[in-house]
Amino acid sequence: MTGMKRVDPRRAYRMGSTGLRRIVLGESGAGDAALRFTSNQTDSRAKPLRSSVAATRWHIAVAHAYRGRLDDHAREAIAAAAILAGPEVGVLAVILGAYHENAAELGADKIAIIEDLEASRYEPQREEAVVQSFVEHYAPEHIFMPDNLSGDGDLGRRLIAKQKGVAATHVAEIDAAHVATAWSSGPVLASTPLPGIVLIDAGIVDTNLPFVGAGETVTPPQLPEIAERFRDLGLEPSAAEAIALEEADFIVSAGNGVSEVATLEQLARSLGAAVGASRVAVDEGKFPRSKQIGASGKTVSATTYFAIGISGAVQHLQGIKACRHVIAINRDAGAPIVKRADLTIIADAEELMQALITRVAQAREQTDATEANR
Amino acid sequence: MSAPFSIAVLVSAGRHPVSGVPRACRGDAVAMAIGHSLAGSALRVLHAGTEDEPSLKDYMAYGAKNIEVVPVREGDDAIAALASVLRGVDVILTGCKAEQGAGSGLLPYLLAEALSRPVIANALEVKIERKDSSFDARIRQFLPKGQRRQIACATPLVIAVHPFAPVSLKYAYARQISGQIEVIPLTNPTCGAPQPDWVLEKAARTRVRLKAQEKKSGHARLLSAIVSEVKGGVVAFEGTTVDKAQVVLNYLREHRLVDF
Ligand SMILES: Cc1cc2nc3c(=O)[nH]c(=O)nc-3n(C[C@H](O)[C@H](O)[C@H](O)COP(=O)(O)OP(=O)(O)OC[C@H]3O[C@@H](n4cnc5c(N)ncnc54)[C@H](O)[C@@H]3O)c2cc1C
Repeated sequence: MTGMKRVDPRRAYRMGSTGLRRIVLGESGAGDAALRFTSNQTDSRAKPLRSSVAATRWHIAVAHAYRGRLDDHAREAIAAAAILAGPEVGVLAVILGAYHENAAELGADKIAIIEDLEASRYEPQREEAVVQSFVEHYAPEHIFMPDNLSGDGDLGRRLIAKQKGVAATHVAEIDAAHVATAWSSGPVLASTPLPGIVLIDAGIVDTNLPFVGAGETVTPPQLPEIAERFRDLGLEPSAAEAIALEEADFIVSAGNGVSEVATLEQLARSLGAAVGASRVAVDEGKFPRSKQIGASGKTVSATTYFAIGISGAVQHLQGIKACRHVIAINRDAGAPIVKRADLTIIADAEELMQALITRVAQAREQTDATEANR
Repeated sequence: MSAPFSIAVLVSAGRHPVSGVPRACRGDAVAMAIGHSLAGSALRVLHAGTEDEPSLKDYMAYGAKNIEVVPVREGDDAIAALASVLRGVDVILTGCKAEQGAGSGLLPYLLAEALSRPVIANALEVKIERKDSSFDARIRQFLPKGQRRQIACATPLVIAVHPFAPVSLKYAYARQISGQIEVIPLTNPTCGAPQPDWVLEKAARTRVRLKAQEKKSGHARLLSAIVSEVKGGVVAFEGTTVDKAQVVLNYLREHRLVDF
């Protein structure tokens, strides 16, 4: 019986999410050589360059960095510039403020970091002049910026007013042909061809890219001498506790599983977060009514929501719909919050809070030490 | 009370987001309240549009005695028309975003550019102080994450007011009855900066996220098709409490949610 096809019973497989063996087709080798790569590992393989052709035309993405990093919203702007670029189009990322990460991973082919335009200062005219100089040099087809309230939305609108070109703000959907915005802030979209300057809303671009940019650093231009018409009198000092829940970007929230309110408040302070609570915790008198989050309390839109000892009843989840990252601590792995949370820790709330307070304090010290050495 | 500087507020036609009922745009009503606190009855209230706009009644109830309408029809350049009327006004207040249409929030910027004067957006509080022979505006600016910034700038300028500005709006039906509308004659409606042509879709739909096209081999595509994406997040059961605390910290750092 020659020539008969035989199936190797030990060929490569991986475990599916349902616990079934999934044979890996097209791979040779034995199953016990354990080709159990996870999707993470495939990601970490070196990604190819987006384009190997020299760029003749350009896209520019502009965003502020905060403490050396770009937030998700800013990354989306760079990713959009890269995804919508053809092979002969290069992507220049203009990053305002000090930046210590690798922008090539975000898709940037050239990176210009203008360190002394920190977002904490108000220098719109200098920022405008710097971006304008890049625009003149590269003559970009499109400029992409995050439409936020922390400086980029303002700068973008100043550029739009200066350039007098067609532009779109509050963009809720984007692709190579068009952009769309929520008409009258309602559910219906209105669309228009992709304009010159695009200010995008958060959450509309997937920042997971299958490629990287060339990531070449560009020396920024000499900052022009400009007498600002504005006098920046500085930021007001503000304590996290004083921030209204609706405005807070990081909320540590307590439920029935929190026994020591003092520990929770200490944790919130160490993370620089505002404090919220579930209805049960409020009803027990542990927190004032103004801290209640949920259907009969406040609706919050924090980027990070840290739910401690909260079961995640629908009435509570209603209040945190807009939160991007939900982290939960709960003793019960079957609690409904686990389905909503991006990360759940199964542990006793009190113990974990204590451990986290210690760990955060250590981490802060280390960072301060390295910053001092830099 | 009259003010030594001239001040005007621009009000737009508001609509309730769900019912579509005409009403004062909240942000503009707040800007008007700030204007009243600065200059009392010397505040000019302007609307670019038509004089039969029903939402203007609401602004009267909120305290506008006399609304000046700059006649602008659809397709006309509202910025140029407003600029020609507002050229001599020291302080121009606007809201941050209109309730109808694209709501681009560009008007204060375009107007400031047309009048070549500075613009400050997201103002929560405004004070006007005399400085030598001119006036100085001091503005408390809204920033996310509970931050606030103080900025000073000489007049003339344009100030876009953030809807969170701490003012109390008082609605009075008597004022709605007694308010008046006056149309400003415009001589030359010009055409200015190009606007995008928004095409309204017929029905609401889910928005499509922009995602990079992946050129995968057939094998890789098959793999991604048969392995269902894991819904829900990571659950950490194992390890000591310290390990688990580290997991939380790693998550926070990986997603850049903390700054240490
Ligand atoms: C009309 C209506 C409106 C409502 N509006 C709201 C609202 O606006 N906001 C709101 O929050 N709720 C609201 N509720 C109540 C809601 O249904 C829930 O009852 C409430 O959210 C539950 O709060 P909880 O998760 O803190 O408490 P529980 O449901 O008691 O959950 C406590 C959780 O903590 C865990 N836990 C206990 N001890 C520990 C420990 N030591 N360590 C770790 N984990 C521990 C438990 O496993 C459990 O999952 C409303 C209800 C109704 C009917």
